[in-house]
Amino acid sequence: MTSDSASSRKALSKIASNRLQKELVEWQVNPPAGFKHIPTDNLKRWVIEVNGAPGTLYAGEMYQLQVDFPEHYPMEAPQVIFVPPAPLHPHIYSNGHICLDILYDSWSPAMTVSSICISILSMLSSSPAKQRPADNDRYVKNCKNGRSPKETRWWFHDDKV
Amino acid sequence: MRFSESFVVIVKRLGAVNREVLAMGNKLGGRRRQVVDEKYTRPQGLYQHRDVDHKKLRKLILDSKLAPCYPGDDGTACDLEECPICFLYYPSLNRSRCCTKGICTECFIQMKTPNASRPTQCPFCKTSNYAVEYRGVKTKEEKSIEQLEEQRVIEARIRMRHQELQDEEKSIKLREISSSSSMRAPTEVEYCSTQAPTSVSAIESEEIVASHESSETSVIRPPPRQRQTREDEFELDLEDIMVMEAIWLSIQENGRRQDLSYSDAAQSGEYIVEDHSSLAETVSATGSSSSPSGGLACAIAALAERQQVNGGPLTNYGCDISGYNVSGSSRYSNEEGQESENYFHVESGTVASPDSQLAMTGDAGEWADHRSQMAEIGTSYGGSDEFGDAIISPASIPHEDENQSSNGQPASGSIAPETFEEPNDASHGCFTG
Repeated sequence: MTSDSASSRKALSKIASNRLQKELVEWQVNPPAGFKHIPTDNLKRWVIEVNGAPGTLYAGEMYQLQVDFPEHYPMEAPQVIFVPPAPLHPHIYSNGHICLDILYDSWSPAMTVSSICISILSMLSSSPAKQRPADNDRYVKNCKNGRSPKETRWWFHDDKV
Repeated sequence: MRFSESFVVIVKRLGAVNREVLAMGNKLGGRRRQVVDEKYTRPQGLYQHRDVDHKKLRKLILDSKLAPCYPGDDGTACDLEECPICFLYYPSLNRSRCCTKGICTECFIQMKTPNASRPTQCPFCKTSNYAVEYRGVKTKEEKSIEQLEEQRVIEARIRMRHQELQDEEKSIKLREISSSSSMRAPTEVEYCSTQAPTSVSAIESEEIVASHESSETSVIRPPPRQRQTREDEFELDLEDIMVMEAIWLSIQENGRRQDLSYSDAAQSGEYIVEDHSSLAETVSATGSSSSPSGGLACAIAALAERQQVNGGPLTNYGCDISGYNVSGSSRYSNEEGQESENYFHVESGTVASPDSQLAMTGDAGEWADHRSQMAEIGTSYGGSDEFGDAIISPASIPHEDENQSSNGQPASGSIAPETFEEPNDASHGCFTG
């Protein structure tokens, strides 16, 4: 597909906007537990409140996800980041980038915003320790402002968290 | 058609598909062509398709190997299936060979991305070497089997969830001890427990209604999301959790005793009237009257499903459930896929299907004929001679071992969305390049 920075400026395709409208309706009927969609008039960028699941390290904490949809969603994955301050997690960088395969290589157009949210919450909930990734500082420094995590070459190696 | 009939028997005996046999059957049976309006043999412009071989696409559609490109419908109608990718509704969809999930032809053509380095994976179960077949409009039997499977999965999930709830409840109770503001909650639980007998009967009468609702919404809403969100509603409200827990416990107690008279009691009108009020009482007493409690609804649906599975008739459903998907859990979807595959092989052939006129005319012999064509798609796909390559993209179509039976896909290729497939040697931390 086209590079992210290019596609992010473009308007949603007809099919993308149709699907997102339906996803939003579905979300309103059946929001995933622990998440709240902050209404805006921008279908291309969703801001979603995440509440740490009870009984986990993040219980009682609230974070925000920012989901940006490319022109060719859902054939192309959305860009999903935490709005800093991002939760302390071994796979979440301080700039909000998330190391989670379904957001990149393993994206499938059969996934939805709702299923992404559930995956992210599950990743948070199974965290063994509140800590940053080992290479956080190097990575964040190299991420010049606004660089999309989709341009990062990720290595997914941990199937437990 | 006598030959075809005996062919059905052969297929039935074989159980699992043996592609060579089917391919042979196809040669003898000859090709079926589908009567499709010329304009539906090309994409309707859902995507800006690149590199589509229109001639090949047209041929595949006319040969009933791909669903016609009908324009997707925005709304829901009972006999339309929703494509889980574009969320539009179609009279019929193609199905993944691996997990039988539906996909419309235009979305399918999009699935192969030119720059992908590895074989295209099934978007639903992640099995590699994604390929679809077209079986025409779903038969009633297929639809009801899907419903049954869906119910079983929901039931299993509820059981798992229940276990989680029990654990969760323990931690909630621990926290409540230290929090004075939530003193109300424990007493409510007690209230519910003492009310247990009434609550149980309330559920019994409500459950039928609830199960209808749930099945109907899955027509409107794509099942995967439905399921994920519904199960997570358990966490919505502490009060709901506690109410549900109490109900569950009492069901477990009473359920064992009442199991036999269960459905009779549920259908008695008297019960229903009575129970409605007692249910309302329970709900409002716990303070969650403003919105229907997700947890309660789930418990109700679970019970309903259990009852249905235990022998309740499937014909209660007025609406058809469209393709059943669990994108969040590929293990499930794989299993379910296999199950339905088996069903189709073993039983569909014997049951004439008046619904399937589009591609098959409904008699068992022709079904077999059709079936064999699908197998042949697989073969030609694998051989990469006519199907796939040119239509999907110029990028190489995954080659498949000709000898591999279509059912023998290694399970290793399927991974849940949350699993990670890249090999690594690092033991902790994230690595970026």
